[in-house]
Amino acid sequence: MTISLVAVFFVAAGLIAAGAFAAAWRRDVTAALAGVPLMFAGAGVAFAGVARFAAAGGPQLFGQEFAVVLAIAATALVALGLGIAGREGPR
Amino acid sequence: MDSLHAIGFYVSSGVSLAGALGVALLGGRDLRGASMAVVGVGLAGIYLSLSAGLVAAVALVCYAGCALLVASPLYRPMASVVGPLWRQVGAVGAAGLLAVLVYSAFRGDFVHANFYGGAFGVANLGRLFFAHDALSTEALAVLVLVAFAGATAVWRVRERTR
Repeated sequence: MTISLVAVFFVAAGLIAAGAFAAAWRRDVTAALAGVPLMFAGAGVAFAGVARFAAAGGPQLFGQEFAVVLAIAATALVALGLGIAGREGPR
Repeated sequence: MDSLHAIGFYVSSGVSLAGALGVALLGGRDLRGASMAVVGVGLAGIYLSLSAGLVAAVALVCYAGCALLVASPLYRPMASVVGPLWRQVGAVGAAGLLAVLVYSAFRGDFVHANFYGGAFGVANLGRLFFAHDALSTEALAVLVLVAFAGATAVWRVRERTR
């Protein structure tokens, strides 16, 4: 049993599609916003897979670096989006 | 790559995809938050089996934060203005996207290269972040700062006008 780049891309495709589905299907905007980190996670998995299996030229860990950037950006975007969507409180 | 890594990868992939389906399909913010935490755990396992230990640690922390934000009862639900027809079109588009990505991954011919980094790679990643790509690291820091400061400012303005 081995891991290949194709298997990594399959997982990444599943995460991206699940995130796109959540963003498109949810009626509530704050719930739809939860699809954004899923899409970023799929992209990060694809980048890390390329860094592991197919980084022939240049810095070999560039894909891992971009995966870190995507994870942090996903958290920041969710925080900003939920902040814009509104905070529940006493009215 | 030994079979222990491979088993870890496939189990983590299953966990991560199950969590993603939970985020997409489950109702209730607490269930969605728990599913997001499951996604983070699975994602960390995937990164660990891909010899990306530092990325796994960062992803675990970031997706735990996302889970807390998604599950937080502080946010009120906000109905979308998009009609049901366009939502269905979007769902079908997501299925089409999955088909296209799987087909391109299956039919693609990729370069194979040997991996010389370690299991964690902190020193090499730190060199990339703070020497090779220092400007992009600073841009990311500015993005995070603007996002959190913007969210805080929006909250404060809304509380003041309430």
